[in-house]
Amino acid sequence: MITTLGLFLLLSVPGLPLLLALPALRSRLPWPCYLAILPAVILLLIPADFSIEVPWLLFGTGLGVGGASRLLLAMSVVLWVAAATLLRAPSSRPADNRLATFFLLTMAGNLGMILATGLVGFFAFSTLMGYGFYGLLVTTGNAGARRAGRAYLGLLILADLALFEALLVTAATTGDLGFGAARHAMAQSPSLGLYLSMVVFGFAAKAGIWPLHFWLPLAFRSTRPAVALLLGGVPVAMALLGMVRWLPLGEITSPKLGLIIQGIGVAAMLYAILTGLIRGQLKLLPAYAVIATTGLFVTALGTGLADPAAWAGYGNLAHYYIVSLGLGLAILTTTIGWLQARRGYPVTPAMQTDDSNPWFERWPGAVVRWGAKIGFYTLPGLRSSWLAKMGCLRQICAWQRILDSIEHSLQRWTFASTLLLLLAMVSVFLAAC
Amino acid sequence: MAILLPLVGALVCFLWPRRSVPLGLVTAIGVVTCVAGLGWQVVVLGTQRYAVGGWGAPLGIDLYADGLSLLMLMVTAGVGLGISAYSTSYFERKQSALFWPLWLFLWAALNALFLSADIFNLYVTLELLGLAAVALVALAGGADALTSAMRYLLVSLLGSLFYLLGVALLYHSFGSVDMAILAQRMEPSPAVWAAIGLMSAGLLLKTALFPLHFWLPPAHASAPAPVSALLSALVVKASFYILLRLWLEVFPPGNVALGQLLGLLGAAAVLWGGIQALRQTRLKLLIAYSTVAQLGYFFLAFPLGTATAWKGTLYLLLSHALAKAAMFMAAGNIIRFGGHDRIADLDRVAHRLPLTVTAFALAGISIIGLPPSGGFIGKWLLLDAALRAGQWWWVVILILGGLLAAAYVFKVIGYAFTQAGVLQETRTVPTIMEWVALALALGAILLGLFAPWPLALMEIGLPFGRESAG
Amino acid sequence: MNWDAGLPLLILSSSLLPGLVIFFLPEERVATRTTLNLGGALLKLVLVGVMVWGVFHGHHYETRMPLLPGLDLVLRADAEAVLFVTLSTVLWLVTTVYAIGYLEDSPHRSRFFGFFSLCVTATVGVALAGNLITFLLFYELLTLATYPLIVHRGTEVARQAGRTYLTYTIAGGALLLVGTVWIYSLAGSLEFTHRGFVAELVDTHRAALIVIFVLLIAGLGVKAALVPLHGWLPQAMVAPAPVSALLHAVAVVKAGAFGIVRVVDDVFGVEVAANLGVTGPLAAVAAVTIIYGSLRALFQDDLKRRLAFSTISQVSYIILGIAIVGPAATIGGLVHLVHQGVMKITLFFCAGNLAETLGIHKISEMNGVGRRMPWTMAAFTISALGMVGVPPLAGFISKWYLGLGALDAGQGWVVFVLAGSSLLNAGYFLPILYAAWFKAPPDAWPAERTWGSRETFWLLLAPPVVTALLTLAAGLLASAPFSPLQWARFITAQEYMP
Repeated sequence: MITTLGLFLLLSVPGLPLLLALPALRSRLPWPCYLAILPAVILLLIPADFSIEVPWLLFGTGLGVGGASRLLLAMSVVLWVAAATLLRAPSSRPADNRLATFFLLTMAGNLGMILATGLVGFFAFSTLMGYGFYGLLVTTGNAGARRAGRAYLGLLILADLALFEALLVTAATTGDLGFGAARHAMAQSPSLGLYLSMVVFGFAAKAGIWPLHFWLPLAFRSTRPAVALLLGGVPVAMALLGMVRWLPLGEITSPKLGLIIQGIGVAAMLYAILTGLIRGQLKLLPAYAVIATTGLFVTALGTGLADPAAWAGYGNLAHYYIVSLGLGLAILTTTIGWLQARRGYPVTPAMQTDDSNPWFERWPGAVVRWGAKIGFYTLPGLRSSWLAKMGCLRQICAWQRILDSIEHSLQRWTFASTLLLLLAMVSVFLAAC
Repeated sequence: MAILLPLVGALVCFLWPRRSVPLGLVTAIGVVTCVAGLGWQVVVLGTQRYAVGGWGAPLGIDLYADGLSLLMLMVTAGVGLGISAYSTSYFERKQSALFWPLWLFLWAALNALFLSADIFNLYVTLELLGLAAVALVALAGGADALTSAMRYLLVSLLGSLFYLLGVALLYHSFGSVDMAILAQRMEPSPAVWAAIGLMSAGLLLKTALFPLHFWLPPAHASAPAPVSALLSALVVKASFYILLRLWLEVFPPGNVALGQLLGLLGAAAVLWGGIQALRQTRLKLLIAYSTVAQLGYFFLAFPLGTATAWKGTLYLLLSHALAKAAMFMAAGNIIRFGGHDRIADLDRVAHRLPLTVTAFALAGISIIGLPPSGGFIGKWLLLDAALRAGQWWWVVILILGGLLAAAYVFKVIGYAFTQAGVLQETRTVPTIMEWVALALALGAILLGLFAPWPLALMEIGLPFGRESAG
Repeated sequence: MNWDAGLPLLILSSSLLPGLVIFFLPEERVATRTTLNLGGALLKLVLVGVMVWGVFHGHHYETRMPLLPGLDLVLRADAEAVLFVTLSTVLWLVTTVYAIGYLEDSPHRSRFFGFFSLCVTATVGVALAGNLITFLLFYELLTLATYPLIVHRGTEVARQAGRTYLTYTIAGGALLLVGTVWIYSLAGSLEFTHRGFVAELVDTHRAALIVIFVLLIAGLGVKAALVPLHGWLPQAMVAPAPVSALLHAVAVVKAGAFGIVRVVDDVFGVEVAANLGVTGPLAAVAAVTIIYGSLRALFQDDLKRRLAFSTISQVSYIILGIAIVGPAATIGGLVHLVHQGVMKITLFFCAGNLAETLGIHKISEMNGVGRRMPWTMAAFTISALGMVGVPPLAGFISKWYLGLGALDAGQGWVVFVLAGSSLLNAGYFLPILYAAWFKAPPDAWPAERTWGSRETFWLLLAPPVVTALLTLAAGLLASAPFSPLQWARFITAQEYMP
């Protein structure tokens, strides 16, 4: 009975928001955003810790609640309820529909991540959350948010690739992909270095840790309050959680990597404080606060990697730190939003963007534009990006032309080229074998 | 019976030209029945030898039926029945009166040829065949047809003459024309080699092997559709049959160089015919050149000389007979329908003759040698034989020939799917003409699915020797 | 002929016979034709269901007819065959529904559906073929049955495309034929066996076997669109949408890939192939194809062309999986055979819907289309994300096993190929999604047709939604019994266990 109930509850925590994300279903129910979070609330109210294994889901996925994850769940519930309230507040335009869809998708991913007890489940939910959150950013509408969204998406894809590699390495090492077992196995694995760097990079990209932070200020500046509120608690906090869950902290000693990570953390904090002081915009304050706090967290993480004993001593504080980070940022954002509203600033200030660059707009392939943007915003402050853009585009042009001409000649001389190529292939194969 | 019946039929048709259509049909069905009866006999009792008038070899005329001749008879019967049915509605009354006697006469000659057991008899039937064929080509009337008929006559006579010289030499050397006896007495000598050369050359000319093929395309293309079908499907096969018989039974074994030469010529024919076919702008010429190419395949077995190769060749021959007949008939339908056979303008026609186009396509599949079709089985056997013999260059030829065939067949078929731009004046095509073409093409395809039976028939009398010898 | 021997033949005829009847139906008998089509498809589905059940319970289905002395026409339902047959049967049903909706009121429907059925018959034949010659037979039949479908529109462009298609495939078929005959003359058998039938020839005929392998792979690679033999595929895009869908997901491209699976697994056997040293180059070619296809796809503005290049890239995953010798990679390759089919067919359905409903053919016209056709674009989104390999969709499962297999086999470079391809996939799919969902729609669509309050005709809408759900299910329920993954594991277990 308990297990059935547990199964049902645990599945419905991410499942119900997913279901409600279907517009057709949502339009018939009152208060969908609140309704979606209901299973999580119920789960919080049941005092017992329990977990389940769902063997038919993906490669077998575990979900469970207990200890730290209960705390995180509580944090998320608070955040999501607050965001849902804010979301409803301004108006109920028809376009809000899509916003709600992404809202619910992100919620499902977020809650699922907290409950996941294995690497694969965590990864799947984090991807869901990432894409959902991208939708949230972009649907907000103005150019700045879209740019932030694009940058976030680019990082997300790279991060997912890195994490996927890490997952593969893990799966090649051990059959059991539960957190505990995987951490333990990776601690002894020869490919530990690869694993560590992949995981750190992946989650750093997702969390917007310093050199990869550039989308955060943009996002804070231009999204609507409900989304800004979630920024700290959802993508950032969850990515930090990922680091804690995935890295075999306390089991290995890796002074070199630890030092690098520490360095990054310190640099992040310095950067955040300095830039925050120079820019001095109230609305951007949370962004720099995020960068600084994640920097602090990363420093701690680096210490943990370098010195397992330290992690063993203070490691369990990490979850509390994440929770307080999420909540604190939310409060900060809301307060600032409220302050701004009182001072009469527009809620989402119009951003100056270079999106209206005429030659840039004329360029047909949206992809190329994307690739360029993602590529260039990863190098903040590099003013030579203009040149790079031009060069890159020309290169792409040239490549495209070459490829086109190959294709053309292939299609024009089909018969001859087929034969020729077959022969060439045969001979190349023969030479190779 | 199989010889006499069409002969009688021809006479009757000649005498009562007004009734020639039903009479001819009845004869055709009768012949098919006879062949079936003979086939049953051969299958059950083994090879048959029959001395006409009670005079046995070496003096009298012997008839001999084994698996090889039976198969040839059968395919002749099948195609012949198809042609007969097709012709019922193809010809106008006046032409019809001339066509039926000639056609049945030709059929008789063919049957006699396939059953003959001595080389002189073969000559006689070959000559008869040639004359009937020439007359049929001239049937279309017009200057073109007459010119090509004359040229055909010339070639035919020349070929027969060469053959006759060879026969005379052999008779002079060994004192007999019976194949079995010749085979026993045969020993290599200059005279024999000369005979072989003469006979082979004559037959090659009649079989239109490259580079002796020049007469074939105009003759086949200018004849009426059923006659073209007849010529391509059956008549050229007759001389090939003789060559095959001689090669297998009479000529001394071991002439590797000659075999290689024949194979080489065959290869050249395959390529040249294919390329020429591809370059044609008229449908019938295309099909005629395709015949040149296909004839080339048959000669690829000579350098290999194994039982598998012979069977492959024979199988190709069978399926080519059916497929090519179907193709010419389809072309006839198209000409009847649209009044022309320009390939580039086919889209206006092909579109509205789905059955004919299907027939053409199915026949084309067999010609290309795509599975499942008789052409594929034949090609498979030839490929297998070539690879087992370690002569991989024939494989290249076979494949290239197939690619060329695909190119020219689809050059035509491609138009079946284009939207017709301008509609033009058309004449209706009798349904039976469409269905006969389709039936023959289906036959060629079905040959590919039921290969074991014909292959088993080929074993009767072991015309190719045992498999182990190969 | 008892049940076990007759079933494969019955499955084959369940599409062959309706197809032949349809050819002779007059154009206006829509109801009869639809009944025949759907009846055949459903009957086949039921029969295949029975077969799946039977094979799982150890039944042995085999139809054998003599073709040549010593060579039989064999239709056999082994595990690999069942995987492919099930895929093609399910997708055929869906595509038939779609095609009925798509071709409403267009000319030559009898011809179309006739060849359509033939095409599926050939595909099922390819799947069930129990030896190389049967495979060859149906493989060529597939070429012939697809050609009329490609040129169906009858325009000059279509004719050109058809010609290109034939040039490539017939040349490929010829190579395949040579390879087949050669291997027959060496080994004396063509029967597919789990560990190959040429093992004893390795020492004596090493060079010949390598050449044969190259011939076979080159012949099959034409259909599987291995670079540089892929030129026909983007051109074949002129065909109507259901044909493209079928071409890319089930029939032609898949037949090529499936053939390569057969050659490596059941003709040579993985160990022998690895011993001959031919799997390495094959993997390299597949990797090049993956990257090249993705790169080319990036630059296409025509939606169907982009999808076509994407197919080129994705199908090579299958080949890559087979060429990396190892159980996990084989699972990945086999499971991608199914997954790619389901995902790609959805994408083509959606592209067809856009073209039919709004007249959209180019990606640059797709701005804001998500608001006009939310269901279609939702299906598109799921499949596109699946292609990218986003968990938990079907593509993720394939990439997972491929990557795992590569690591198991110690070929780490493959992982980078996979990562690069994923990145490129994201590069060419996500902008489409972005434009469709987040950009403002134009004032008017190029050529809009309306169907009342629905976004499009329901016969056009249902198939992509169903296949998108299948994409989701194939990933999410990967470990459930009878999922493609489980079946691929079942096959691989047979392949690698002695």
